[in-house]
Amino acid sequence: MTDHNQSPALSSDLAPVLAVKDLTKDYPGVRAVDNVSFSIQSGTVHCLVGENGAGKSTLVKMLTGALQPTSGSMNVNGSQYEPTNPQDARDGGIATLFQELHVVDELTVLENLTLGMERSRFGFLIKSKLEDRVVQTLYAIEPSIDPSARVSTLSVAQKQIVEIARAASSGASVIIMDEPTAALSEREVERLFAVIRRLRDSAVTVVYISHKLEEIFQLGDAVTVLRDGKHIATKQLSDVDGRSELIEMMIGRSVFQDYSPRGKISDEKVLLAKGLTNSVLRDVSFHINRGEIVGFYGPVGAGKTEIARALFGADKVAGSIEFKGHPVGRSPKEAIAAGIALVPEERRTQGLFTSLSIRENVPVMNLRRLSNNGVFRASVEHDAAVDYVNRLNIATESIDKHTEKLSGGNQQKVVFAKCLFADADLLLLDEPTRGVDVGAKTEIYDIIRNLADEGNSVAIFSSELEEVLGICDRIFLLYAGSLEAEVTNGANVDAPHILNVVTGGHVGGVQ
Amino acid sequence: MTVTANIGRSLSDDRRKMSDEAFITLLVASVAVGLFLFASLLVPNFFQLLNMLNLVTNNWAVISLGIGVSFLLVSGNFDLSVGGIVALSGVLSVWFAQATGGANALSTGLGLPYWLAITCALGGALAIGALNALFVVKFRIPSIIVTLGTMMLARGIAQVVTQGSQRNTNLPDEFGVLGNMTMFDTSVKLPVAFMLILLLIAIFIERKTVFGRLTYWIGANPIAASLSGIDKEKHVTYLYLFSSLIAGIVGILLASEFKSGYSNRGTLMEFDALVIALLGGVAIAGGFGSVVGMFFGAVILAIVTSAATGMVLSPDWQYILKAIAVFLAIVTQTWALARRNR
Repeated sequence: MTDHNQSPALSSDLAPVLAVKDLTKDYPGVRAVDNVSFSIQSGTVHCLVGENGAGKSTLVKMLTGALQPTSGSMNVNGSQYEPTNPQDARDGGIATLFQELHVVDELTVLENLTLGMERSRFGFLIKSKLEDRVVQTLYAIEPSIDPSARVSTLSVAQKQIVEIARAASSGASVIIMDEPTAALSEREVERLFAVIRRLRDSAVTVVYISHKLEEIFQLGDAVTVLRDGKHIATKQLSDVDGRSELIEMMIGRSVFQDYSPRGKISDEKVLLAKGLTNSVLRDVSFHINRGEIVGFYGPVGAGKTEIARALFGADKVAGSIEFKGHPVGRSPKEAIAAGIALVPEERRTQGLFTSLSIRENVPVMNLRRLSNNGVFRASVEHDAAVDYVNRLNIATESIDKHTEKLSGGNQQKVVFAKCLFADADLLLLDEPTRGVDVGAKTEIYDIIRNLADEGNSVAIFSSELEEVLGICDRIFLLYAGSLEAEVTNGANVDAPHILNVVTGGHVGGVQ
Repeated sequence: MTVTANIGRSLSDDRRKMSDEAFITLLVASVAVGLFLFASLLVPNFFQLLNMLNLVTNNWAVISLGIGVSFLLVSGNFDLSVGGIVALSGVLSVWFAQATGGANALSTGLGLPYWLAITCALGGALAIGALNALFVVKFRIPSIIVTLGTMMLARGIAQVVTQGSQRNTNLPDEFGVLGNMTMFDTSVKLPVAFMLILLLIAIFIERKTVFGRLTYWIGANPIAASLSGIDKEKHVTYLYLFSSLIAGIVGILLASEFKSGYSNRGTLMEFDALVIALLGGVAIAGGFGSVVGMFFGAVILAIVTSAATGMVLSPDWQYILKAIAVFLAIVTQTWALARRNR
């Protein structure tokens, strides 16, 4: 199904499809990738892991021609590979599936698949064998997608598969996937994994980058670990001794932590939501206690973000929301004034001012503290930034660093700093650790626990079971816009039951 | 924690480092100085103090408009209506102040006292600003379209009031005072003083007030601004009202200076105001720029224009020279910023 010359039979374990040797990339003052050498065997799923800032992105950018190495060499199928732009990479047989999808919504699946490969005569498009081939490729990896469907009607997961099919049918021998499951529900993840396995069976090599370690154990043949720009190890996954070994290699310390019940939580209800209903939500009612960490768990589309935005007043919703006895939910401004802050789902587009510095980002949610009769108190801003950079351990050499240049985990900490500066008593965290490395994740969980211990309430909206089980005291299970069940976390929590509920199984034996 | 120690040390270093805005402003100012010296080599008598001052004072109107336009650009919005408002408020101030019972329609006004005439004219200007805000903020129509419409609306009303010509008769004596009076026993005219004071206020607002910072936040990321509790609708409304108020005052001062209300006054001023803001490093996408930069942008444009005149180039060449200056300035800025942030 692909154009590459190697037949599966010839791709023995000893033939690396991609090899890097002594690869180094220097930025002024920083060595982002430091003398990295490893090779990737043909027809395998090769995982690339490391904390944010470990050098994964820089490495991928060099592989795709977006950056050129300072020194070192790369080999593809045994020949020298020196891409200077993304087209070179495609010509070399390396395709990339970025987190942001590059499909054209207004075209059909087929048109998307052949985009940029059209042949024309006298300015008119001509049909070619190409179309048959891409249709076959798509059918082979995901038969359920109709080639004549308009892409705008597809789900994110299906769009992703269209992009994969485009890469595969363009003859790529290596497809790099950067956090492909970040926006997918668990069922969609399963489908993507099936696609990846089919690709591997047809001798396409997949370089798989993810923060979700369980995915790596499920899917990967081999794993390469990077830390601080250095190559730590490349191993067969069968030789890796569980998550803890992988995590240890990634961060050099052990961070695996389970939920431990916190001390007695007050039963003072700070937030009461009754009958929340809108185009997604169906009659959702719940309460949150003072000092409690609650989780809203369910797949993408179950209504998590909608609840968070409704509580924050960002979207209109029917029903009533009371916070500390006062009605809220009309505007974010009102919510913040009442003591509610939101860490939004998309930190780059909704949470951060990426073109501004850390210093300029932190104070935005508390103008009262910042204003002295309308005059800006620069010293308050400066001190707050220094304070939160230290308290949240934001890795930066300066508070004047633009937030777009921070790693994902540190960007998220800046968004947290914004909310903390707002003096909120209730924090709404929508996917707080998405795209965040393991180390920063642990730190964020510690921040959340500390906040709750100080008497603040926290609501976490997450599609990662591990996350809600790891930190929440009480978990609300959502399916298709309604709150199906409530689970109190503890040692004997029933994970299969939870998964059953949020995938549409019947509620039974609710704790 | 070792990290803490590091931050403490490098912070003191960083406070001395320039922001990107300061860097661009310095760059624009250097270009202005360089251009001035270059023009002095080519044009006889160009290198004179008086000439330098004239470059600024002759452009008081566009610089004043540039202040409102720059703030709106930083917030991510256009204002193309300011030129039309200049014509409208000028024409209205004349019409309202003209005595009743003139010889013909164009010499007959409403006969209001001058102070009331200019207050009502400012009301007309603010009405255009309110219309801009209404369509941009409430109906979420792109500002470039809205203000293109109100630009034509404002000038259209001016045209109707002057019947496509001008009104300049039957005016009270005090009508010509504001635009021509000099200040503090110097030759500085009131409009120039107005511009200077406005510049100082604008710089203060931009650098030192919460209002100024809100403008940057809204321009840098309107979605994040809303989710951070910023009432961007209210803020952008204020910005449109301020911009139209400035344009209204400029129109009244110009009408007073020439003792006439002319419907074509201020033609293309909205584009000059936009050009000097862009020349001065204000980002067309919002979130970045400064009033000081805009000021030096105006100086650059003035040097190019007046040097061309000094070199006895036909005025027909002015637009091409302006175009070259704009392209060069913007390419230089993009290049310099990219290099700095690499």
